[in-house]
Amino acid sequence: MEFVLRYLRKLKFLLFRRQFNRELEEEMIYHREQVQKDLQADIASSDAASKAAYRQFGNQTRLKEQCHEVVVFRFESVAQDARYAIRQLLATPSFSLVIVLTLALSIGANTAIFSVIQGVLLKSLPFLEPEHLVRIFLNSAEFPKFPLNPFDFRDVRDRNHSFESMAAFTRRDLQLSGVGETARLYGISITAEYFHVLGLRPELGREFDRRAEIEGNGSQVILSDRLWRTRFAAAPDILGRKITLDSLPFTVVGVMPAGAEHPGNSYHSLAYGEAIDVWSPFTFGSDPSQRGSHYMDGIARLKNGVTLTQANAEMDALMAQLERERGGGDPWRATLIPLYQEIVGADRSILLVLLGAVAMVLLIACANAANLLLARAAKRQREIAVRLALGAPRRRLIRQLLTESLLLSLLGGALGVAMALGGVKALVLLLPADFPRAHDIQVNLPVFAFTFLVSIATGILFGLAPALRASRTDPKQSLHESGRGATASGRQHRLRNALVISEVSLACILLIGAGLLFRSLINLIRTDPGFQQEHVLTASLSLPREKYKGDDAVATFYDHLVTALEPMPGVQGVAVGSDVPWTGYNENLGGFTIEGKQPPPHQEFHARYHMATPDYFRALGIPLLRGRFFTEADKKDAPNVLIINQAMADLYWPHEDVVGKRLTFSDKPKEKDWVTVVGIVGSIKDQPNSPGATPAFWWPELQQPYPDMSLVVRADGDPQALVDTVRSEVAKLDPALAVADIRLMNQITGTSVATQKLVFVLVGLFAALAIILAMIGTYGVISYSVTQRRAEFGLRIALGAQRGDVLRLVLSQAAALILAGTFVGLIVALTLSRVLRNLIYDVSAADPLTFASVALIVIFVAIAACYIPARRATHSDPMNALRAE
Amino acid sequence: MPKKSELMPGTLDMLILKTLTRAPLHGYGIALSIKRLSLDVLTVEEGSLYPSLQRLLLQGWVKAEWKKTETNRRARYYTLTAAGRKQLGLELTQFEQMIAAIGRVLQDA
Repeated sequence: MEFVLRYLRKLKFLLFRRQFNRELEEEMIYHREQVQKDLQADIASSDAASKAAYRQFGNQTRLKEQCHEVVVFRFESVAQDARYAIRQLLATPSFSLVIVLTLALSIGANTAIFSVIQGVLLKSLPFLEPEHLVRIFLNSAEFPKFPLNPFDFRDVRDRNHSFESMAAFTRRDLQLSGVGETARLYGISITAEYFHVLGLRPELGREFDRRAEIEGNGSQVILSDRLWRTRFAAAPDILGRKITLDSLPFTVVGVMPAGAEHPGNSYHSLAYGEAIDVWSPFTFGSDPSQRGSHYMDGIARLKNGVTLTQANAEMDALMAQLERERGGGDPWRATLIPLYQEIVGADRSILLVLLGAVAMVLLIACANAANLLLARAAKRQREIAVRLALGAPRRRLIRQLLTESLLLSLLGGALGVAMALGGVKALVLLLPADFPRAHDIQVNLPVFAFTFLVSIATGILFGLAPALRASRTDPKQSLHESGRGATASGRQHRLRNALVISEVSLACILLIGAGLLFRSLINLIRTDPGFQQEHVLTASLSLPREKYKGDDAVATFYDHLVTALEPMPGVQGVAVGSDVPWTGYNENLGGFTIEGKQPPPHQEFHARYHMATPDYFRALGIPLLRGRFFTEADKKDAPNVLIINQAMADLYWPHEDVVGKRLTFSDKPKEKDWVTVVGIVGSIKDQPNSPGATPAFWWPELQQPYPDMSLVVRADGDPQALVDTVRSEVAKLDPALAVADIRLMNQITGTSVATQKLVFVLVGLFAALAIILAMIGTYGVISYSVTQRRAEFGLRIALGAQRGDVLRLVLSQAAALILAGTFVGLIVALTLSRVLRNLIYDVSAADPLTFASVALIVIFVAIAACYIPARRATHSDPMNALRAE
Repeated sequence: MPKKSELMPGTLDMLILKTLTRAPLHGYGIALSIKRLSLDVLTVEEGSLYPSLQRLLLQGWVKAEWKKTETNRRARYYTLTAAGRKQLGLELTQFEQMIAAIGRVLQDA
């Protein structure tokens, strides 16, 4: 109550300020007159009395200000400071512009990177209580993250006590026909309660119940909002409608709302996000003893109070129990990973590196601004001295100077946000397609708040030291000296030198980061991928099982397709294979037998399996190292043959001639079950930056037909020109078949290094910005010092120094700072570059070449920046100097 | 000329309030009154008097109104309010307690 009254009284003062001032003035005049009258009694002259009264009364302006401070609101004086600051900034427009622009660039970069971090790392996942969601994997010595087997999953679901709910899912694309053009829909098949686990609810209809898991009940489907709108015109009566998927009728039982995101999957992966068009029920096969196939991704919601470790321990125990019941050997263990970590894990370090890089740029910009402010404070020393002499309290002066730097940083921040708005758009476009949560990246309220705080912090950071320094001006001394322009104290020199050294060293660190990333990118691009990426068109086809019953139908279709395409103009080679390199294919087969070999204890032979038609390797340009390729003769009833890669040969038959060796996939092989290795081809890694190639083999497609295949066409010229040919030949064979994933091989290779490229481009940009800022900073300091020492240089020249001597003098002063900065930068970079270790490929984090070239570049560039002021020093006029003395 | 005693910090408000218990006074009058009553020992600096008066006004412990002086000049007279009287009582009690405490310490030493 009291508080409110006081506030109201304050408000009255504010509203009637003029009256307040007038009254105060009148009151003081009266007071002074009374004092004068008293004094007149003692002192004869009225003039002397008046002076004495004035003296006794003290600094009237100051007194009025003190009275003011008691009654006014804080913001009034802030507004006053701001008005003054604006006048100051406008008085030196080029100075202000340099600071505002450099701050805008660096704050803008920070804002842009923070928007990405906010969207990807900080914003919570769009699921119910996402912190309770975990992904479930299996692990063994050989496979640290392995998919689940459906029956194991079902048993664990029934027996566990750790999870509130559990679901498993696996990739299942479906081909939609009968509604417009036939199209491949991206999809997954899911067990019952999948959406319940995620905490999502269908917009229309319901999710699958456990009856849908039984064989024969699986012809149901849930559509995405996008599919429902684009293909079915958002029909409100869609529920219960039959649609044709993979040539079979499916009943629509639900539609998910927009924003029902896919949590990501590891097996035949689809990127996190709104990647799914269609969800279908997962149906369990009828023979639960078949537990060798692992292809399910698991997800579960932890019960309240159950920790990840407890749940993991229970899963381990359950897996061991299941293995015992079946009398098997070594059980799988479980790996539970929080969903958030699984989604953003790998990209987290990239984003943190980028954040570190932009933070360094901002620090350099701060050092730069501080340096410029220090230089200007030296020029303004007279003004400050006058204000101090007139009784301005130090605190008020510091506040005034801080207001100026805050004004600069806020202007920079505002401009920075404008830049970030454009930058973020470009950034999202540059992000690799599978970057998680890219669509969540926006410049929104939290980002604005971040930028605002950063701007304030920046303003204080670069303004505080100069303000403190300036307020310590001794009015007497600098007013005396003012004729000659006060020289900076030794202390101020040290501060400015320290700022230059830190700018140079930060720029050095960023350049080294960019250099390492550049070398790594070059390595990635230059490394022989193991295939020839130019002139190759790829596409994927998926034959509906309903229509292509049995191996023969599948084999015949692909045989016809290859035969039809081969003679087409522009086609050099055509093949189909289970996959194309670097597209995330990760099928594995374990437990086969190699003639005359035993697997190491507790392990089994395993390898990645593929299928291919005879021309597959030639079309992709994969070299044959020994033996032969497949031929038309390697067909169904011919002897079983296999081509393996170098990695498999090295792993299982080290130092042996492998061609002619045999292996079998059968537990009790008859003679015809033995498969002979007929060729060895070069290895290809899973991804360009994978540490090594996985052992792999190929079956001839005719001996092991599979309905979902990739088409590979090598062209004479531009492969893009063959897209229509491929489409029309496929349509001639089966008009209801969708040609999906049409990509050029060099697009695939481009995508696979997209992340590395992006990180390099960004760090490179930041490093460029950093070195430019450091140049400005060094230039500023040297230029200022040359101005200060002009008299000295003039004197030296008058006394006979050569201009070259003066040039050397200035440059050596600059070189000392630059060398110190470079040295510090190199040392710090040596420790810091370790954070890049996971991002660089085939380059040491302490790569001598990078370090040496960066050091040279920094030294050269920074000294070049000092050359202009140094030249100016040599033109110091001796006469001028002498006259000034 | 002997050095004038400085006021103990925080006592100025109390002294002003006390001088105003007898009659409304203008700023100069308050300063004069304190000087006289203290037999020239305490001088109130104008630099602290006016900010202090503004503070008291703000707290609502005094009121100000313009009146004519004996010499027919306009001057701002300050009057103690009821809240001011209460505040004075409070400050006096605290002050006496403190003086007594200091006295005890000094006696003991």
